[in-house]
Parts: sequence; C-alpha cells; structure tokens
Amino acid sequence: MAAPVCRRGLGPRVLSWSRQLPCTWSALHTSAVRAKNRAARVRVGKGDKPVTYEEAHAPHHIAHRKGWLSLHTGNLDGEDHAAERMVEDVFLRKFMLGTFPGCLADQLVLKRRANQVDICALVLRLLPAHKFYFLVGYSETLLSHFYKCRVRLHLQTVPSKVVYKYI
Amino acid sequence: MSSLPLKAAGKHLPPSWRIQDTTAAPYAFQDDPYLIPTSSVESRSFLLAKKSGEKAAKFIINLHPKYFQKDIAEPHIPCLMPEYFEPQIEDISEAALKERITLKKVKASVDMFDQLLQAGTPVSLETTNRLLDLLCYYGDQEASTDYHFQQSEKSKELEEATEETDEKSKKKAGHQFGVTWRAKNNAERIFALMPEKNAHSYCTMIRGMVKHRAPVQALNLYTELLNNRLRADIHTFNALIEATAMTNEKLEEKWNNILELLKQIVAQKMKPNLQTFNTILKCLRRFYAFGKLPALQTLREMKAIGIEPSLATYHYIIQLFYHYDAPSKGSSLVIYDIMNELTGKKFSPQDPDDDMFFQSAMRVCSSLRDLELAYQVHGLLNTGDNRKFIGPDHRRNFYYSKFFSLLCLMEQIDVTLKWYKDLIPSVFLPHSQTLIDLLQALDVANRLEMIPQIWKDSKEYGHTFRSDLKEEILKLMARDQHPAELQVAFADCAADIKSTYESQDARQTAPDWPANALNCIAVLFLRAGRIQEAWKMLGLFRKHNKIPRNELLNEFMDSAKASNSPAQAIEIVKLASAFSLPVCQGLTQRLVADFAISQEQKEALGNLTALTSDSSSDSDSDISEGK
Repeated sequence: MAAPVCRRGLGPRVLSWSRQLPCTWSALHTSAVRAKNRAARVRVGKGDKPVTYEEAHAPHHIAHRKGWLSLHTGNLDGEDHAAERMVEDVFLRKFMLGTFPGCLADQLVLKRRANQVDICALVLRLLPAHKFYFLVGYSETLLSHFYKCRVRLHLQTVPSKVVYKYI
Repeated sequence: MSSLPLKAAGKHLPPSWRIQDTTAAPYAFQDDPYLIPTSSVESRSFLLAKKSGEKAAKFIINLHPKYFQKDIAEPHIPCLMPEYFEPQIEDISEAALKERITLKKVKASVDMFDQLLQAGTPVSLETTNRLLDLLCYYGDQEASTDYHFQQSEKSKELEEATEETDEKSKKKAGHQFGVTWRAKNNAERIFALMPEKNAHSYCTMIRGMVKHRAPVQALNLYTELLNNRLRADIHTFNALIEATAMTNEKLEEKWNNILELLKQIVAQKMKPNLQTFNTILKCLRRFYAFGKLPALQTLREMKAIGIEPSLATYHYIIQLFYHYDAPSKGSSLVIYDIMNELTGKKFSPQDPDDDMFFQSAMRVCSSLRDLELAYQVHGLLNTGDNRKFIGPDHRRNFYYSKFFSLLCLMEQIDVTLKWYKDLIPSVFLPHSQTLIDLLQALDVANRLEMIPQIWKDSKEYGHTFRSDLKEEILKLMARDQHPAELQVAFADCAADIKSTYESQDARQTAPDWPANALNCIAVLFLRAGRIQEAWKMLGLFRKHNKIPRNELLNEFMDSAKASNSPAQAIEIVKLASAFSLPVCQGLTQRLVADFAISQEQKEALGNLTALTSDSSSDSDSDISEGK
C-alpha cells in the first residue's frame, strides 16, 4: 500500500509533495478500507493443505458447484422463523461436534422435512460400531426431547477425510 | 400327509409382495457397510447399544428437566417432556402416600404408610388396597431396578437395598424371577394391620403370593376368604389354579383340585375367561403324558363356552404333545388339526406367551420333516398382522433357521436358492450350521458351482474363521473331478480359504491346520494346474505335522508323470518314506515302471524302500491316517 497507483481516479489518494518519485515514505491514506472477503474460504497455501470439496469452494459457488448445508423453508417468500432455524442449526452443529469427538469428517447437512430434522453426518471410523450406535441413540433422543420434534441421524462412514485437492 | 420333495415349481416361492426390502438390512440399523451387523450377535449388540444410548439420554433429561421445558410443539407432545420421578408432596398425608404409590416407590410408600399410622391418621380402604396392589405386584422389592442410579442424596439405604436386589436379580434372567415371597414381609404385615378388609384385599394378596411362588399361603388365604363369606374374582381363580399346580401333590390330586376350583367358579356364576384356560393348559404341560387327555378336554370346553383360543393356547398344546425331550414317541397328528384350524386366521395379542407359538410350531415341523406343514405355518405368519407374533430376535432366528434348514433338506434347489436370496440377510443372519445345510443341499442337487458364491457370502456373515464350515466347503470341492473353468474357480476359492488359515496362524501361537483342509487344498491346486502352489502345500504338511492321504500322493504322482519330471516323482517317494506310509512301496514301483531314472537314483530308492519296508511292518499298526 506504499506506492500510490491511480486507478480510474479511485485509487488511494496520498498527499505527497513530489510527483516524480514513487512514494516511499509513510503518508496519510484517506480512501476507504477494502478488506478481502474471508467468508468460508480456505486461503491458498503451499500446496500441502488438504481440503474437502466443501471447503475448497467459496460461498459464491453455492447453487453452482455446491449445495446447501442446511435446508429449510424459512427463506421462502412468505415464510417466517428463518432466524430460529439458524439458531437451531448452530446448536445442532455444536452439539454434534461435541458428541462425536474428532469423528466428523465434514460439515453436517441438516434437512428439515415435515416435522422432523434429518442430520446427515459424515463420520470417520474411529469408534467401534456399537459405540456409534450408542451415540446415535443418545443424540436422537436428547435432541428430540429438546426440540419437541423427531430428530433422525443418518451416518455415513469414511476411512479418512475425503480430500478434493491440496492447496 | 405326503411330503414329496418334487412339487410344481413356483407353488411355494417366497411371496413377491413382501413389504420388506430383501436387499437391505433392517431399517433399525444405519445404512452403511461399517455399521450393518454381520451376525446375529452383532445385530443384538448394536440394538442394545442404541437402546442404552436412549436410556442415557432419558437419564440426563430427567436429571435436568428445567432445560427441556420449552414447549414449542403444537399440539403438545407429552412423551417428549421430561418425567418426574421424585415425589413432590413432602408432608405426611394420604395424598403424599397416593403420590408415592403412583410413582411406584415401594419403600417410600411403606414408610409413609407407617408414618401415617403412627400419627394416628386413618388410611382409607381404597388407598390401602392400592398400596397392597403395589406391594404384591413387585413382591416387596423396589420397582424399576434399572433406574437404580436415579436416586436422591438422602436415600443411602435405598441404594443398599437396590444393590441387594440387583445381586439377586442378576442371578436370574428377568428381574422378577428371583423374587420369592418372604414370610412376614411388608404386604402381610400391612394386611394384618388393616382394620377392615374387603374382597379386593384378599384377592390381591392371593395373586401376589402366587406370583412370587408361595402357593400354600395363597390357598390358605383363599380358605380365609371363603370363611369371611367374600367372593373372589376371576383373576384370583386363575391364580389359585396356578397355585394348585405348584403344590407338591400327585398329578391326579392336582387335577381334581383344579376341577374343584372350576366348579366353584361356575357355582359363583362367574364366567371363566381366556386366561383361565391358558393357565390350566400351562399347568398341564408339567403333567406330561397324563395331561394330554385333560388338555383336549379343556380345549373343547373352551370352544363350547365360546372363548376364542389364542396362539398361546395352541403353543401349550404343541408343547404338551410334542415334548422335545421325547421327539417321536408316538408322534400325534395334533399339529395337523391345529394348522388346519388356524389357516387364514388373524390374531391379536391376548396372552404374554402368544409369541412362542411360531417357534414351537416350526420346531415340530422340523422334527417331523414336513415341508408342507412348514409352508402352512409360514403362511399363517404372513396372514394379516401375525408377523408381530414372531417374538424377539433369538426366537425369530430360531424360527427362520429351522425353516431354512427344512427347505434345504426337502425342497428343490432352485426354490431353496430363491428363499435364500429372500431371507438372508434381510430377515435373519445365518449360523454356520445353516450354511452347511445349504451346502449339503447343493451337493445333493449337483449344483456345486455355487460353492464359491456361498463362501463369499459366508465371509460377509462373519464365518471367515469357522473351521467346520471351511472344511465342508473344501471337502465338497475336492471330492470329484470337474470341468476346467469350474476347477479354476474352485482353486481360487481354495486359495482364499488358505489365506484365511494363514491369517489365523499369524494371530495364534500354535498353528493348527486340519489335515483335511491341507489335503483338499493341495488336490484343488493340482487339478487346476497350479503345480507350484500345490508343491508348497506339500511342504506345509511337514510343518504342521499332518499326514497326506494316499489318493493325494497318487495324484501328485499323476501330475509328475504328466509333466514328465522324474525329480518330482522322487520327491514324492521321499516324502512318503519320511512319513513312513505303507503306500510308499506302491509309489516306488510306479516310479520305477513309469519313469526313466538313473542308476544312483535307483540305489537311493532301494535304500529308502528298505527302510520303509522294515518300519512299515510295525508302523502299520499305529499309523494314524488323516487327522
């Protein structure tokens, strides 16, 4: 940000006494701050960082290359309670992260269908199968009692995190 | 009854309208290969784990009910609200006693009752009767021992009491089996303290005593009831019938007493119900041969009164007539009459023992080896909602195992294979014995080409390390010669089985390959043309200290001749002499006759045969061939 480059007249305006030399002294910057968008993006590294398909794509790829992680009708025209759905989502994701310690291979997919919530989770094969069933029974019952509706858990196991590419 | 194995194909195929998806595991399991059970033991453990998770969640919910109060469901769902197990009313009053009785807290309600009596407040007859009901039902033990960890801080004695009951109940299967009626327990004490007793009090005491195996006291109490000129209700009479059967008298005496009780029922102008007759039949089971005629009389009486028998009734009759200790001692035709009557009927649950019917019916079909009857029973199972009566997992597995074994034995192979695809694995997971039966059916029907497929399936059902199954497979494959591609398939299968033995070896310290298996694998390799591997097998014989069979050595000799290598032939003879087998001489003669060997080799052979002919005379007697 040291050298002022005029771009369509909107470049950073720097007060400087001389026009010939490129500015190398610190001066007062008066233009707006344009921070880079960091939402849901994994920054490119040296090529050794494994990312899943979900992580590799930025949010502007939703509906083009990605699907949604949470499906409900709260955002349709004339429907309400979208905010409550969002709060429930946050709680469900935190709950599952804690209940299946270190086993979740990817973000949860939450589907709301009629009056039930389907939690679709991709899990690693870290626990023996009967322990998975214990946790499934536990989470389903606890969440059903908490949200007063049926909560179903659908697990799919993978041997390790599914890497899409290395960035 | 004809039980011809030949029948028109398509007559008894598995029904195509079956509601269940035959390609999937039961829906209670997660749909993922890692999480689908492969044996009945695993499926039971997964379902138990899931249930225990649910119980843990309910424990947490009931421990902190304040977090689960927000009720957003419209309409209200009562089963998703937390439950309250602690009594709320703290003062000493009848309402507090009633609350404790509703919460099924046995000790707390007895304490409350005693406190009320000490304070002098009279307790109403109705509440005392309800307290007696609670005590007699639970036999003076705490009600739900599986929630014993749900206790308040002050009830340390409760904890000790439940630990005692836990130890007692751990010994028996159900948590009420070990409970016996102690003399002078709380129920009797309270009963004695009651200023006025009505018929209900006597009746509940009698039923409690009978439930907890105190028949003599029950009968005494009944005489007291009669002396007070009160009348018992029909449930008490059912209990008394059971008490009569429990006493230590002779069979005719017991039967006469039961008839007496029945006459009293009639005299009091009461109608017996289904439970009366079922109880009589249940008691008649223990009378063995003596009980057959009375059982049929009871059944006729039941129909004469117009009470529809339930599945439990027929179950008791089957048990009486087809006692499994004496299978075919004068086997009667009662089962055919029963099935003729039951075909097409739909049942509803009326007796706790209703779910034992199908298991005993299929057991009888299997012991009688009657396939038509088995189809009838299976048809009854599929009528209406009767599928509910198949019972818990182990009973269902037993039923289907017996059914499938019977199919393997008696039915045409194509139909059997269709049933195989239909039932396994969606309905039950087979034991190794079931698969062995299937293999023998394939053998009889000359369809041995299915064996590699069956082996692949066996691995999926957790039978990879079952030696009896593997030996059966190898034996069937190795018995005869087969066309070339089949031989190749068999050799691949044998190689697979060999690798399972090897991985088993790696885990165990003492390797143990059955000699049969070694023989069969070697033969299969030879026949498929995998000579190198077959020779490796010969080396393994030495390592595991097992003796190769004569036919095997002859086959090796054949293959050596076919590949025209005298060196191999000499190897075989050396091996035979090392094991000191009597066949060594025959092999040597063959060697000399068929092969062109040099002079030194002949001399070396001469030495060998000399050794073996010396030792073969005394090793003849103690040679242990094969295993």
